[in-house]
Amino acid sequence: MSAISIPVAAAPAIATEHLTRRFGDLTAVQEVNLRVAPGQFFGFLGPNGAGKSTTIKMLTGLLAPSSGRMQILGSDFTENPVEVKRQIGVVPEGMALFGRLTGSEYLNFVGRMYGLDRDTAAKRSAELLEFMQLTDQPKSLVTDYSHGMQKKLALAAAVIHGPKVLFLDEPFEGVDAVASNTLKAMLQSMIARGATIFLTSHVLEIVERLCSHVAIIHRGQLVAQGSLEELRAGVAAQSATALLASGAAPGDQPASGEKLTLEQIFLRIVGGTRRPDQELSWLG
Amino acid sequence: MARLDFSPSMREQFAAIGRVRWQLFVNSLRTVRGRLELVARIFMFLGFGMLGLGGSVGLGLASWYFASHGQPEFLALLFWLIFLFWQFFPVLASAFSENIDSSNLLRFPLTFRSYFLVRLAFGSLEPATAIGILWSLGIVLGITVAAPSLFFVAALSLLAFAILNILLGRMVYVWVERWLAQRRTRELLGVIFFLFIISFQLINPLILHFGKRAGPAMSHFSAQALPLQRFLPPGLAADSIASALHGDFLRSLGAVLLQCFYSAIILGLLKIRLRAQYQGENLSEAVARTAKPAARGAAPTVGWNIPGVPGPISAVVEKEFHYLSRSGPMLFTFIMPVVVLVIFRFGSARTGDPGGILARAADLAFPVGAAYTLLMLTNLVYNTFGGDGVGVQFFFLAPLRFREIVLGKNLAHAIIIAIEILLVWLGTCFLYRPPSAEIVAATLTGVTFGLLVNLAAGNLLSLYTPKKIDYGTFGRQRASGTTAIASLAIQAVAIGLCALALIAARASGRIWVATLLFLFLIVLAAVGYILVLNQVDSIALKRREALITELSRA
Repeated sequence: MSAISIPVAAAPAIATEHLTRRFGDLTAVQEVNLRVAPGQFFGFLGPNGAGKSTTIKMLTGLLAPSSGRMQILGSDFTENPVEVKRQIGVVPEGMALFGRLTGSEYLNFVGRMYGLDRDTAAKRSAELLEFMQLTDQPKSLVTDYSHGMQKKLALAAAVIHGPKVLFLDEPFEGVDAVASNTLKAMLQSMIARGATIFLTSHVLEIVERLCSHVAIIHRGQLVAQGSLEELRAGVAAQSATALLASGAAPGDQPASGEKLTLEQIFLRIVGGTRRPDQELSWLG
Repeated sequence: MARLDFSPSMREQFAAIGRVRWQLFVNSLRTVRGRLELVARIFMFLGFGMLGLGGSVGLGLASWYFASHGQPEFLALLFWLIFLFWQFFPVLASAFSENIDSSNLLRFPLTFRSYFLVRLAFGSLEPATAIGILWSLGIVLGITVAAPSLFFVAALSLLAFAILNILLGRMVYVWVERWLAQRRTRELLGVIFFLFIISFQLINPLILHFGKRAGPAMSHFSAQALPLQRFLPPGLAADSIASALHGDFLRSLGAVLLQCFYSAIILGLLKIRLRAQYQGENLSEAVARTAKPAARGAAPTVGWNIPGVPGPISAVVEKEFHYLSRSGPMLFTFIMPVVVLVIFRFGSARTGDPGGILARAADLAFPVGAAYTLLMLTNLVYNTFGGDGVGVQFFFLAPLRFREIVLGKNLAHAIIIAIEILLVWLGTCFLYRPPSAEIVAATLTGVTFGLLVNLAAGNLLSLYTPKKIDYGTFGRQRASGTTAIASLAIQAVAIGLCALALIAARASGRIWVATLLFLFLIVLAAVGYILVLNQVDSIALKRREALITELSRA
């Protein structure tokens, strides 16, 4: 399907040009042109294997692009990797924790690696542990934390230096409802203060609730990008055109005023509808 | 005991497991690193093969001698040797053993019988079993040559002995695995293991030290203990053959049956553990909820400040120290150089004999201790990211050049070695006599040269052949096979150069010649180290995907 693209007026916090990554013969990400404005809560969606994690790894320096350019806050990533990394915070796929440190030691370590002085790192570590409700077991090693606690610690580490751009790969996976609310509140307050957040998640309800803008990647290509309203309008227009072309009756078109959910938009864009003959007859 | 009933589905499950393991092996050959690992394993296989065949010939000759010269009671010595090797080698060389993660199997509809047999089969596919069986076959052959009529008795006895060893090894392993699953028991066992190793190494020096005075007491103890050993598996195996040689076949059969009885008990204990695993036991390490929370408003813990060292590098050094200080196996490694000095001192203190290499030439104690320190600690530098696991991703996310991270790690390791060398010097002064200034200078320059060579090579190998290791478990700190072989070659070259410098000093009769030569070598090594360090950023960037993938493996 053709990409639905809406230009972003402001100077981008994240911009990619023809970003491509190949693994041998497989092109995992192809010619992706992303633009995320400062202050946006941006959702990056796609089916499994679409290229989301590959893109986020390239944007954070964990993976080299095969070709194309990336700019974060106006700086070219390849030319100024250290400068760019200083401005961003990341919760990567594997969380990148050091299991044999305590939570406090880990946050102190991360803070100092981002250039904070010892006292500031220690102060922020204590505040973050308190905020994330991770003070119950101060002597526990990170390896002994539950998955949800590790996720909270990873997020705390990603924000300890006050990044201007935050990349989050599935941040709510395995986090309980209470902690999830805390995290969402924190992220929204960061947005209110002008930070940019780039989020991938398979939970579309969360993305719909949090994100103002969304991009959808499918089979390595960017197939949609814009605000939720713009995507809705784009999908509705495409559906109408398709219906007219097929000569369907006007009644088959989406009802006027119907508000598509992000899940519906997503399924229509990536073609996630299942063929009726795709039945597994042997399943009980 | 589970019935050995091979239903068609069980056979298919076994075939599927075998196929998937084969496929994993074949897939590992897709990468250069995988192929290098294969080459390293072939070398190791050759090494173990020589050990197995050589030992088999030696034990065969010994058993032939004992059986044909009317001394069958000495066969117990051979069986004890095999027994101890079989049981302890997998603990001391776990890098050569492969243990499957049973939790992966549990999601499949495996019966307990299948699960039990799979665990037993895969646990038995290790060098210790192969070598143990080869050695046992050597004994069977030796006895058969000495007394052909005893072939069946020897074969039966050795079969029972082999089965018992296989079961015992698995049983001990699964129980130790159970205890090591929790940090507290891990630490406790680490201390016990350490004390055991120390006491094991001290036995001989203590006997030598107290030899004459303790003679009667030792004789009395031996007289009491020797009959008891006959009721233990190695003694029983020897007894069954010795009895048959003396024509007492009933006693011979009794000894075999007693071995079978022991095997049944071991099997029962093994079954208890495997049953618990089969039922999906969860050995969570989560700390009890009663743990005391951090006091509100308490002063936050501030990180280390190393004078003259930038904050991020200090942070890396601090992180390394936290990691190593929480690792029982690494603490064990750190203390060994001093322990070696103590052992040599005890060994050399025989009454009326100034013996012992180090006591005869006390000036050697400091250089030997320092060289041993370097040798032990270089394990750290050849796989420097191995213990970081998935955390290695952070090093690529942090706003630092990779060389700064490597520099931090090198600095931490150099500090540890410096502290160790200081301890060795103190140990030398206390146990022997203070080494001369010339010896100290030659030793320190030699160690500096060795350290620089190892750091330079270690930085490269850490990036090219990383392997995830576990600092918390004994025997899980070994680097990849490729690294092991490469580091062996580098150590050989470094030691060779040091030896040449020492030979030159000896020939000239002046120790400072060695110091001068070492200083020259230090300059060369430092240039090499800086060249490598300058390349670290580009190598790390090129290797980042491989590094992250390898160290993030579950």
